[in-house]
Amino acid sequence: MPLSDDEKAAVLARLPLFAGVSSDSLTRLTAVAGEQDFAAGYYIVRQGQVGTGLYVLLEGRVRVIRGSDELAVLVPGDFFGELAVIDQRPRGASVEAIEATRCLALASWDLLDLLEHDPQLSLNLIRGLVARIRDQGEHPHH
Amino acid sequence: MALSQDELVDTLAGLSLFADLSRPQLEQVAHKMAEESYPVGQRILRQGFTGTGFYVILDGEVAVRIDGTDVAHLGKGDFFGEMSILLGEPPVADIVTLRQLDVLHLGGPELEAFLRDHPPVMYRMLKTMALRLRNTSQVRS
Repeated sequence: MPLSDDEKAAVLARLPLFAGVSSDSLTRLTAVAGEQDFAAGYYIVRQGQVGTGLYVLLEGRVRVIRGSDELAVLVPGDFFGELAVIDQRPRGASVEAIEATRCLALASWDLLDLLEHDPQLSLNLIRGLVARIRDQGEHPHH
Repeated sequence: MALSQDELVDTLAGLSLFADLSRPQLEQVAHKMAEESYPVGQRILRQGFTGTGFYVILDGEVAVRIDGTDVAHLGKGDFFGEMSILLGEPPVADIVTLRQLDVLHLGGPELEAFLRDHPPVMYRMLKTMALRLRNTSQVRS
């Protein structure tokens, strides 16, 4: 059952990634973010592919796989696919739906456009990446 | 080793963090940040201690040291200190100079405003973070 624009805006505003972004950005996000549903077992993103956008998980769970290693399980509110959008390199991992899943999909050009116009979104994204680098512990950089 | 304003701006123009800035914008950056020098063997940031700053290396080399073990070396053009500031947490490693070090320094509380004022710098930082994540197990594509 697709979300109305108001419902979509409300869902977006609650996501940590979009916390504090301008209402202009929220309006734009609502307009350009598309809902996509995936069945269990579907590969939403494939390692090695060209990245076309970022996904925010709304419902369900997904696993992040590189080679044969499961790296993580993501839950609603998490996002994935952002690295390929930021650095235009191929997808570094696959993401598979564990169960029936609903995502908001944001195309690369729309995300980059928003990043250019909304410093808060860029800051949120940097913070999200920095927190994961620090969780990693492997090659801490400060 | 204090550079003239022109020399400083020339140096900044060659660093990838500031690669997208015009000359007037580079001059603004040079104006906002303080040029500092540290001798060899100096600890600039301390693991587990509060006190933050954002540093961009103009010349020299530092070790990133956790529990006494070097996990990385940083040199000209690299930056450090931003993670602690952005997360509001103490540094997870010591930063120790390996050679005479020249840096540009910005106080921790000023970093966010600085990034907002200079979106191309923020974008370069975003790309650097993406690169750091790429080869770790925290990659999410």
